[in-house]
Amino acid sequence: MEKIAVKRSFDMRIIGDWVEPESRVLDLGCGRGDLLDYLVQARAVSAVGVDIDFANVTACVSRGVPAYQGDIAAFMRAFPERHFDRVVCSRTVQELQDPAAVILEALRVGKAVTVGFVNHGFWKNRIAGLLGGRKVRNAVYPTSWYESRPANPVTIADFEDFCREKDIRVARRVHLLGDWKTHCPVLPNLLAGYALYDLTR
Amino acid sequence: MTDDVEAKPADSAPRHLAHGDVGIVQPRDYVHDRPFTFKNGQVIPGFTLRYETYGALNETRDNAILICHALSGDHHCAGWHSPEDRKPGWWNNLIGPGKAVDTRQFHVICANVLGGCQGSTGPLSTDPATGRPYGVHFPAVTIRDMVNSQRHLLDHLGVVKLHGVIGGSMGGMIALLFAIEHPEIVGRVLAMATTARESTQAIAFNEVGRQAIMQDTAWNNGDYPRDGGPRVGLAIARMMAHITYLSDASLDRKFGRRVVKPGPGDAPAPAADPQAPGFFGAQFEVESYLRHQGQSFINRFDANSYLYITRALDQFDLAHAYGSVEKAFARVQAESLVVGFTSDWLFPPGQNRAIALALLRAGRRASYAELSTDLGHDSFLLESEELYALVRGFLERDRVAFDFSI
Repeated sequence: MEKIAVKRSFDMRIIGDWVEPESRVLDLGCGRGDLLDYLVQARAVSAVGVDIDFANVTACVSRGVPAYQGDIAAFMRAFPERHFDRVVCSRTVQELQDPAAVILEALRVGKAVTVGFVNHGFWKNRIAGLLGGRKVRNAVYPTSWYESRPANPVTIADFEDFCREKDIRVARRVHLLGDWKTHCPVLPNLLAGYALYDLTR
Repeated sequence: MTDDVEAKPADSAPRHLAHGDVGIVQPRDYVHDRPFTFKNGQVIPGFTLRYETYGALNETRDNAILICHALSGDHHCAGWHSPEDRKPGWWNNLIGPGKAVDTRQFHVICANVLGGCQGSTGPLSTDPATGRPYGVHFPAVTIRDMVNSQRHLLDHLGVVKLHGVIGGSMGGMIALLFAIEHPEIVGRVLAMATTARESTQAIAFNEVGRQAIMQDTAWNNGDYPRDGGPRVGLAIARMMAHITYLSDASLDRKFGRRVVKPGPGDAPAPAADPQAPGFFGAQFEVESYLRHQGQSFINRFDANSYLYITRALDQFDLAHAYGSVEKAFARVQAESLVVGFTSDWLFPPGQNRAIALALLRAGRRASYAELSTDLGHDSFLLESEELYALVRGFLERDRVAFDFSI
């Protein structure tokens, strides 16, 4: 677990670089509030997270991060256009019921949308699937299929297609190697372990 | 709120000395000896608020937490008035040394509302102009009047800043309005099982209760002696309201369809003869339970107070009062936490969610949490470690600087 926490700190930093200081940030699927807490401390943002789990919301509230327990889509429907400076969807997209609807709605309530996800096209994942013939299990996805939440194994190529189809402008993209730290120079869908996108309309 | 909270006997020590309890407490009276103007412009020459406090006020006078009670609640929210008491204060499970609202850290204050009948000035109090109870000559009370009168109490106690205001149901309305009307002194507001606007259904229930009281001839247009009044009507109002505080599931679990066992010497319950005594008596346990609730209520509550306070609830509508809920909340400086309960059908989760969303739309710092319970509206009084952790986290959270370096 510690390894993941260390890995995560780098994508948090990148998101932190993209976030304007003192801006209004919404984190969809905020978990225990790690990212928002970092953004509050590093960028003095005005933060709110949404999470479905009572214990996660308790954790957020206990560290001073405002959080709303409930459905992501219903939450966003309650806000006017461009209410948030940035909506973050970090390691959440793969578990969404209707990812397109959520991302498009995020582009409505947010001036910018940051999406971060684990690239399932990463060569290690391909080999694991090819040779093992099993659901990919690694440090990021440690659980068996029967103890995991439903997840769409999205790849960088898939995501690029999606943005093109929906006319979403990719303002910035960062592809990181398997260490989630070093920038990936070529063949991101094969060589990148993690992807971050900054989207606008 | 129901009267169900029975004290669990401690292992061996007397209950009032149980670990984590504030122990024996004494109510005090704050006498405001200057005229007080109600929202509707009516003036009374002064008023009294009965209140209790637990825990010490710190040197900077900013560690106070104001607890706000519900319709039928009072100032006695924790501890015991005497070792012989059957029950402790109504939120004793939440408030005490080391509890979620920790009296070792916070100076907890709770006052009976203006318009109430547990020691604060209300319709039952003597009108100095006539020497008789005010009755319906008492000014119309609003939630705002409750808030403003308690602000005078805080000034009297020397409270510079409230660390928090906490309340459930009507107490949640008072807490929210406190943060709107006195934003400069409220640090945190925690509102549970409440609403920003009394719903049509809730007004409808209140109206049935009021009709039960007013149709009782003993009500006499609000003019009745202190030891009399519409006892039948008030008991029926309470029985009906009590059902709205619970849920189908909790009633079924508690009583099911169990029938009342005849006492020794009683004739067996008549099965099918409407003319036999007992056919329309309390056959089911839930009936005798409600009758008991009604009877115990009339011994502690004033019918006119019930009319006044339910009317105050009906008139609570932040959107109407401030132009919009967002405009109302734009004045708030406090950090807010709203808690809804899944089985609450009097102030359902949606109405609690709406408060948090409006606070966020107004650009305030607000959180919403929802607890899964099947106990209905009274769930906010629940003994729940999850709820305690949330309340404690909200009140005590300390910014810990995490090291995000790699």
